[in-house]
Amino acid sequence: MTGELSESRVNGPRVWAVGGGKGGVGKSVIATNIAASIARGNESVALVDADLGGANLHTLLGVPSPKTNLADFISKRVSSLGEVMTPTPIDNVWLVSGAKALVEMANPNFGQKSKILRHISALEVDHVVLDLGAGTSFNVLDFFLAARKGVLVVVPEPTSVENAYHFLKATFFRKLKRAQPRAQVKAAIKEVMNGSNRSKVKTPRDLISQVWSVDPDVGAALVAEASSFRPALIVNRTDHPSHERLGEDIVTACRDYFGIRLQFLGSLPNDKLVVRSVVEQKPAAQYFTQIPFVSAMRGVVGNMTYVRPRAS
Amino acid sequence: MIIRPEDWEVLGIEPGADIGQVRRAYRHRRSLYEPAALATYNLLDDEEREGMVDRIEEAYRRIMGSEPPAAPQPSPSPIKPEAANEVAIGNAPDPLSKPGAHLRFHRMAKGFTLHQIAVETKIGVTILEQIENEDFEALPAPAFVRGHVHQFARELKLADAYEFAKFYLTKMQGGGGDEDE
Repeated sequence: MTGELSESRVNGPRVWAVGGGKGGVGKSVIATNIAASIARGNESVALVDADLGGANLHTLLGVPSPKTNLADFISKRVSSLGEVMTPTPIDNVWLVSGAKALVEMANPNFGQKSKILRHISALEVDHVVLDLGAGTSFNVLDFFLAARKGVLVVVPEPTSVENAYHFLKATFFRKLKRAQPRAQVKAAIKEVMNGSNRSKVKTPRDLISQVWSVDPDVGAALVAEASSFRPALIVNRTDHPSHERLGEDIVTACRDYFGIRLQFLGSLPNDKLVVRSVVEQKPAAQYFTQIPFVSAMRGVVGNMTYVRPRAS
Repeated sequence: MIIRPEDWEVLGIEPGADIGQVRRAYRHRRSLYEPAALATYNLLDDEEREGMVDRIEEAYRRIMGSEPPAAPQPSPSPIKPEAANEVAIGNAPDPLSKPGAHLRFHRMAKGFTLHQIAVETKIGVTILEQIENEDFEALPAPAFVRGHVHQFARELKLADAYEFAKFYLTKMQGGGGDEDE
């Protein structure tokens, strides 16, 4: 690519994390197609396989397991993350593979995590898409929180909806606990959780109001944290009219119950061709551009990357 | 009664919204916090759920100055009013060739509405209805359907719920079993 650097390149890449409590809801397929969809708009994307325990984005992209990967970076065999970035069959999409990452790498310590994040923001691309593993380990939560936008994937099944709420709750509590000033925040949360009112604390919203009554300054800090927590939501594999409202309904329930404002990016229809694209190792957004899944994906990516113009 | 700012917030509408909007918002909010609603699956315990419903009804009362209408049906495809009064007539349809009708027969024979089954099993009314109608296109993946059918059959105390779920799956996947007509 030539020409001057786009604004995003100057400020570092925009980082998107794709997560969600449950395995098998389509996180990796969605991450890959988000990357392919962004790339068709002529911006460059690094797709990072942050599912350190079970990486397989290379397979979805139809490339052999790259020779270097995240494990090499974590174990310092290579000095920069950029060195493990490999080209893919899709123009403008680069892969940082997690393939063959050792089991002990699945839970990097705090220093390793910070280093990965630092290097991610130094990658010379416009966007970074992080594909997170399933579950609610601190590792997953921290990457989700570090991204410019964390994207939660849900399918219209009770188990998935249930896990999504667990995930949101865990992420939100993690964010509150790490708020500044951290020592006072921890102390205030501890006081509330050990106090006589602890049975009233079921949601993050309850926690904040209880903390507020113990320590108004910390309460205010938590409110600031809460208002900056705006994960996005994708409903995947919708195939029934009753699924149409699910995304907005989850947004409503999160607001009512948790006091969390989600941004609904859109629904992706269940589509047999997506399964075929996985089997044939050809990302749908690149090879099946006319199917409903891909046009819905374009809408999702448009909502995700949209930047409200600043009034000048 | 004085309308408080949070009443509008509870219903998720702009202050001063018209009557139609208030009614629609109320119905939608109520259905969102029905026990079998997918969007709030296992999010709230019973006490919290009731608290939420109370808040919604209170907001409606304050805004409208009148009692809320009877609770709406919990699903996007509500049971038809007459459905609850339907009775099972004759013998149970064959479980092998008509498993959906077989379930419906036993449900009605025991006097349950789909809603009651939904509350007990936490399976949505829509799914239960699709199971009874053998609407295989609309139903989720067979692995989930097997679980739902098993639960449904167990709720109806069918002799062998597990075997029955297997029959159902066999028909759903188009193998074995005699076809209708």
